[in-house]
Amino acid sequence: MTDATANNVPASSVHGGSLLSQNVRTRRRNAAERRFRLYGVIAIGLSVAALLLLVSSVLNNGVSAFFQTYAKVEVMLDPEVLDPKGNRDPAEMSKVTTIGYGNLMKDAFPAALQKAGISVEGITDKEIGDMLSKEAPAQLRNRVLADPDLLGQTIEYWALATGRIDGYLKGRVTMASAELDSNVSPAQLRLADQMREADMLETRFNWDFITFPDASELRPEAAGLGVAIIGSAYMMLIVLFLALPIGVAASIYLEEFAPQNRLTDIIEVNISNLAAVPSIVFGILGLAVFINYAGLPASAPIVGGLVLTLMTLPTIIISTRAALKAVPPSIRDAALGVGASKMQSVFHHVLPLALPGILTGTIIGLAQALGETAPLLLIGMVAFVRDYPSWPVDGFFEPASALPVQVYNFTTRGDPGFVERASGAIIVLLVFLLCMNLLAIWLRRKFERRW
Amino acid sequence: MTSVKFTVSALAVIAASATMASARENIQTAGSSTVLPYATIVAEAFGENFDFPTPVVESGGSGAGRKKLCEGVGENTIDIANSSSRISQSDIDLCASNGVTEIMEVRIGYDGIVFASDINGAEFAFTPADWFNALAKDVVVDGAVTANPNTSWSQVNANLPEQEIMAFIPGTKHGTREVFDDKVILAGCEESGAMAVFAEANGGDEEKAEEMCTALRTDGVSVDIDGDYTETLARIDANKNAIGVFGLSFYQNNTDKLKVATMSGVTPSTESIASGEYPVSRPLFFYVKNAHLGVIPGLQEYVEFFVSDDMAGPNGPLADYGLVSDPELAATQEMVASGTPMGPLQ
Amino acid sequence: MSIGLLLLIVVGLGVIGYFLGRRRALASVSGDPRRLHSLPSQYGQSVFLFTVVPALLLLVVWLMAQPQVIDRQVRGMVAADGSEGAALSLKMADVTRISEGLDALVARSAVTEEQLDSMRADFSDIRGRLAEVGVAVGADVEPDVFQAAKARRSLVGTSALMMSLAVLALAAAGFAFALNRIGPEFRARNVSEAVVMALLIGSSLVAILTTLGIVLSLISETLRFFQVYPAREFFLSGVWNPQFRGGSDLGIWPLIWGTLYVSFIALLVAVPIGLLAAIYLAEYADKRVRGVAKPMIEILAGIPTIVYGLFALITVGPLLRDYFAQPLGLGNSSSSVMTAGLVMGVMLIPFVSSLSDDIINAVPQAMRDGSYGLGATKSESIRQVILPAALPGVVGAVLLAASRAIGETMIVVMGAGAAAKLSLNPFEAMTTVTVKIVSQLTGDTEFASPETLVAFALGLTLFVFTLGLNVLALYIVRKYREQYE
Repeated sequence: MTDATANNVPASSVHGGSLLSQNVRTRRRNAAERRFRLYGVIAIGLSVAALLLLVSSVLNNGVSAFFQTYAKVEVMLDPEVLDPKGNRDPAEMSKVTTIGYGNLMKDAFPAALQKAGISVEGITDKEIGDMLSKEAPAQLRNRVLADPDLLGQTIEYWALATGRIDGYLKGRVTMASAELDSNVSPAQLRLADQMREADMLETRFNWDFITFPDASELRPEAAGLGVAIIGSAYMMLIVLFLALPIGVAASIYLEEFAPQNRLTDIIEVNISNLAAVPSIVFGILGLAVFINYAGLPASAPIVGGLVLTLMTLPTIIISTRAALKAVPPSIRDAALGVGASKMQSVFHHVLPLALPGILTGTIIGLAQALGETAPLLLIGMVAFVRDYPSWPVDGFFEPASALPVQVYNFTTRGDPGFVERASGAIIVLLVFLLCMNLLAIWLRRKFERRW
Repeated sequence: MTSVKFTVSALAVIAASATMASARENIQTAGSSTVLPYATIVAEAFGENFDFPTPVVESGGSGAGRKKLCEGVGENTIDIANSSSRISQSDIDLCASNGVTEIMEVRIGYDGIVFASDINGAEFAFTPADWFNALAKDVVVDGAVTANPNTSWSQVNANLPEQEIMAFIPGTKHGTREVFDDKVILAGCEESGAMAVFAEANGGDEEKAEEMCTALRTDGVSVDIDGDYTETLARIDANKNAIGVFGLSFYQNNTDKLKVATMSGVTPSTESIASGEYPVSRPLFFYVKNAHLGVIPGLQEYVEFFVSDDMAGPNGPLADYGLVSDPELAATQEMVASGTPMGPLQ
Repeated sequence: MSIGLLLLIVVGLGVIGYFLGRRRALASVSGDPRRLHSLPSQYGQSVFLFTVVPALLLLVVWLMAQPQVIDRQVRGMVAADGSEGAALSLKMADVTRISEGLDALVARSAVTEEQLDSMRADFSDIRGRLAEVGVAVGADVEPDVFQAAKARRSLVGTSALMMSLAVLALAAAGFAFALNRIGPEFRARNVSEAVVMALLIGSSLVAILTTLGIVLSLISETLRFFQVYPAREFFLSGVWNPQFRGGSDLGIWPLIWGTLYVSFIALLVAVPIGLLAAIYLAEYADKRVRGVAKPMIEILAGIPTIVYGLFALITVGPLLRDYFAQPLGLGNSSSSVMTAGLVMGVMLIPFVSSLSDDIINAVPQAMRDGSYGLGATKSESIRQVILPAALPGVVGAVLLAASRAIGETMIVVMGAGAAAKLSLNPFEAMTTVTVKIVSQLTGDTEFASPETLVAFALGLTLFVFTLGLNVLALYIVRKYREQYE
């Protein structure tokens, strides 16, 4: 309270007589203070609750994707069938297709069950064979082709079980649903129970989910994220190496050097406008300019990276400018005062001080780019790619998928086995984000300061 | 423009110097998301069993796929376009103007379209007329054209259960919608006799009448789904009274969640569709750029493998997944082996 | 000589120039850097720049001009038979492909240069040979095309050689020139800073180039759309109802209404929560809480929008329908404007909070201290001193969030539905412009049909729309921006 009011207003109405007890007005102000603080807590609480709700629902659905069911099959690798010419030449042996290997396994499986003393009554051999994934023969074939000496031996082989059997062990498929399901029968589930008791069926941690490439709709159990992770990593590399320097350079010019003229105005409006352009429009741009005009290959990380770079730039520029703006003019004046050039004052003093803010913006931008799906739909990233791209720089130009696109892809598949894989892919994506964020927090902690 | 060109060329220079113009080794296909699952199944098996790299199968819609096919010849264009509807004359013209003169049309089989509701819901036996009367904007009541008053299925047809009408139908971006309009709504319009009344109301203008037939109500009873069948399934999960439109293959993979309805008394299955008894189906195609045959390694082999009995035959994995195999597959195999390009559209 | 090698040589020369230039500068003042106008390293930089920049510019210009010049020369050879227009450009495409294919053949040592000279289109199976190296040719190779291809190949070869020589010569000349100029009076700093400045300006021009690229790629297709569909209908009609068989109604208003409605609800959620969270984090929270809560909120921004979409579809939608819409008699759709808006609001919280937080932090401590000194409580200082000071920045953050809301796609696809409708009821399904761009572009409709092309018109409209909004916002921010110390 100022002197002026103290003179004009009776003291009692302001102070209520005693300094020790709070008067009405002070109480009201303190209550307002507490309320305001509470609003803040509620806001934070709501955001964190939303995050937890989202993450827990994802974890709930997705953790099971990291586990996979395998069935033990004893297979006699019959040279008569697998190497009809008998010369152990992998080139010749590759003439036997996965269908041949599939038949071999389908024959061996019921026999192996009987040998283990599991009753296979009331269930046809075909049904038993159908409990194994279609991926299993392909893996067995690769193993035999890599090591032809296995021929003639009887090997114990842990084959992938189908998605439905896997779902049964994870509780997704039940006896009741199997009654109605055209792809699995209760008899198969009962057999699965018996096999589990005989230790012939087990669920293990599934590294293959992270390393394997995508698989077709018939094999949800074999689908993995290998190609998508590589593709996303390549795109992030491109975005980081292009967007960060360009974005910071542009911000420095606009914030520190640009004269107030028409050109600067146009650039500024452009940048804030680009931040509002729907990401799908960047997809159209990428399709028209990078693929059709420049002739870069579709489905390749280079195009995705360039599109995401353009998309991320405004975010990075806007936050970098905010960070530069936050550095007090006294810093610049001091640098100029001791004889530094304008350029030196910016690069040696302002920029390092603005770094924490720049990092925040870059992280938000990268996070946004990592999770972006829409523009990638138009430049052919929604693709079925089985072959891993090679190392950079060549790998930038080879077909690949991307993590969020893979999520989208999994959610559009018909087999319910893909649902858990979509959530699993999201978990992987979130882990990536978490790592990026942790790195950023560490960097920011190191540098953050308040003026 | 020059500055755009500048940037782009600079990028292209970097690109060119990075990769020494190596020829493309993998087959590239793009197009319909309906054909996508079948194409991935074949591509996967092809990659496993042949010495060629696994083909890349892009999604993105039939229209975009055919447009990409028609962009020209050369390794930076795709080899095969998957399509859930037949190529149109305008696409063929576009192809020709870009030097893609020879296209091979390969029909891989048929896709059935089924109507299904929540597994615990009531049984439905529809006729196309029921669908028309449930979803059309205007219907004929007592010989007069009126705005659709029906709110429950039993009002449409006394044999249907007393359940509010709620239908999730494919959005107008889907080729499936075209089939739905043609083979269900339009057929129902004719079957119920409304077509004749509409034609009369428009002074005998058949086209106007057809337009009236396929105009669906907009009061929230029929909901367009622009996403995939998984979205339709999720919506049915959230709204147990609704009936959704699905592909046969999707239904077959989710028989534990969905109850399929009969259409004109026929239960949809690969057999009943192949025999033509079940009315709502459509052919699926892919289009091959003949100029790339023998150039892109493995293309000829892939196309032949796709239509081989091992894959597209009635006992192959595609049929397992829900593709209705083509009774004339042998003719297709012959055509593919000789690389016969398609003739002009009839 | 390959371009990569050329680049390497030029840059190598530049690096040598840097060290020589530095040494020379120091030598010119007998090792006393105080007598130099600029820092020694800046003299080195000036040599580097004079060596590299002109040479690279020449390289780029040459690479850009070369195809045009050669094309013009070769074009005459194939146009001799009177073909023109589309047919000619097809032939030219063949010429280009074949000549590059011949390069590949030679590189693979499948043929020697001599064999190539004697190759004739009418005798050898050119198409087959080219197929071996993965080069597709539409039809059998005509003799004139093949001759043109060979001519093009030799022209390209000559031009590449000349280019290498010219670039190297220019680099050497720049090197010598810059080294020669070095002396105590030479203002090397100005040179190197001018180049850095040019780089900075160039970077900020990327934004304009991007916009230009977007507009150009949208505008041609939009014009095609307006040729087949009346613009009046598009802008004035209130009905959106595309059809496969033609006769679609493609009015934009239901889509714009849906977009604005959803964005409005999203901002209604995101702005208060985000702003209050930012204030709490910046002013109240201790370091520990801040260290945990801030990154957690930021993670919300990184969660792929498709996850939010699923969340809206499966959890929020049915919840809202069962507990709000149905009891209130407002409808029974699980996908609604409300669903999408709420979930999108959650997604936008970090866009508001994170940036506002930084901005509030940037308000000088002196202002807080001044306010406390006058007896204001913390919340009073925040409301009456800090927030007004941070307002322009906060408005910027909110605008960024608004931009995201308008441009968001996946959440709306799954949460708001695909029904284009003009209605006030927030519990009804509506759709947005972005949803329709995606669905019309990735659909099964023919690409040249108005139903697909409308996507470009929608994109352009949205683009212009956001442009107008931003110009307005920028004006507001500028008018009220203040610089504190």
